[in-house]
Amino acid sequence: MSTLERLQSMLARDFDLQPAALLPEATLESLDIDSLRMIEILFTVEETFGITVGAEPAEIRARVRTLGELAAYVDELVAARPEAAAP
Amino acid sequence: MRRVAVTGLGVVSPLGNDPASFFDSLVAGRSGVRRLEGRSFERLGVRVGAPASFDAAAFFPAARVRMLDRVSQFALYAAAQALAASGGALDGCDRRRAGVFLGTGMGGSETTDDGYHILYAEHSDRVKPYSVLMAMNNAAASWIALDHRLEGPNLTYSTACSSSAVAIGEAARRIAHGETDVMLAGGAEAPLTFGTLKAWEALRTLAPEDADAGASCRPFSKDRAGLVLGEGAAVVVLEDWERARARGAPVLAELTGYGLFTDAGHITRPSVEGQAEAMRRALAHAGCGAADVGYINAHGTGTLANDGVETAAIKEVFGERARAIPVSSTKSMHAHLLGAAGAVEFVATVLALSRRTLPPTMHLRVADPECDLDYVPGVARTAGEAPVALSNSFAFGGTNAVLVARRP
Repeated sequence: MSTLERLQSMLARDFDLQPAALLPEATLESLDIDSLRMIEILFTVEETFGITVGAEPAEIRARVRTLGELAAYVDELVAARPEAAAP
Repeated sequence: MRRVAVTGLGVVSPLGNDPASFFDSLVAGRSGVRRLEGRSFERLGVRVGAPASFDAAAFFPAARVRMLDRVSQFALYAAAQALAASGGALDGCDRRRAGVFLGTGMGGSETTDDGYHILYAEHSDRVKPYSVLMAMNNAAASWIALDHRLEGPNLTYSTACSSSAVAIGEAARRIAHGETDVMLAGGAEAPLTFGTLKAWEALRTLAPEDADAGASCRPFSKDRAGLVLGEGAAVVVLEDWERARARGAPVLAELTGYGLFTDAGHITRPSVEGQAEAMRRALAHAGCGAADVGYINAHGTGTLANDGVETAAIKEVFGERARAIPVSSTKSMHAHLLGAAGAVEFVATVLALSRRTLPPTMHLRVADPECDLDYVPGVARTAGEAPVALSNSFAFGGTNAVLVARRP
């Protein structure tokens, strides 16, 4: 399952979002994901993908505006994990 | 001063999650006190309490439940019930003149307990992201305002066991003084967590589990052995009397008096004078005399200290008439809901007036010479003609609050 698919299933299951609305180009705003809800989503993302999101909220907001961008951001953090970097 | 009408009631309690089932249980003498089951309670020395049977998933979507401590879930559900029962108290209401006053002693104690468990027991740093928003004492009142867009004053009172009586009394004052037209007032408490129960256990004030668990709380009985903790919420709709009448609202009672007096003597020990003065002030505020009072819903915790002192205080206020006034402690059935106790018992008091039925004091097994009033022992009774009832709430910390309701 791709990162995007895992995010889609997590958002549908845990955050009461309609699966049909969870398109890669859907903006977080259009999904009613405000900064407060985003904090909880990031907490769940950290657990699901075994990563730590260390960036400041403002930096994340600037980088992640859509679901697709969230998936790309998660992929980046997964690739940067210490164990991922090991040979 | 404007008059204040009670036009809606909502309850979540160990005896049912609506006013009718709650009051029917009281009248039937049913107890909500039982042995607490579950692994988290295994290390408790005292494993008795009065849990509410409440399925949050039935009332809130999953994502919302994760933002709401149990205490806020109770409060929101009780508030929604009260508003629905009021027959449209908010219709045509200026929302800037409608507010929420709630009482709670421990706030979101389940969230606090969970957070500490993660930190100290699991040695994890993964504290839940909404912990602050769930545990803060004003969360319940804030969510009610958000759900119903109530932009008037939103306050949370924390005066231990009198918190919600204070919230209701203060809310009535806002209406009486003309500052607001409609208030949702009450209290909520969800203290049945391992940490909170352990703390209460350490204070040595909890009753041990009786052979008949349901009879562990025995107010005014010589063999009373302490209080039992329970959980739940109650919210009432208070409304400017003229407005309520004009819109044809179901007026259940008039809130005519509120008396407040602080012991300032000891952090836990109650005083006859402190309790008596709170009752005197409430009666004076209500402008009624001893002869008008037909029922007192006692604070009646079942502790050695309270019940004798409260009896003496009632005798001091009502003199010769004290023995003719039925007094009951419904805590014998729903247990002590701490910050929600005053509101839950005010609901019982209003329903006693409107249904003309006095709920009993259960488990009064052994007469105590120190407690020699008419406690309506064991069996509910038809109310007399006297139109006024008192609801007593006394607290650790010494804030004594008394509410007076009158049959309309």
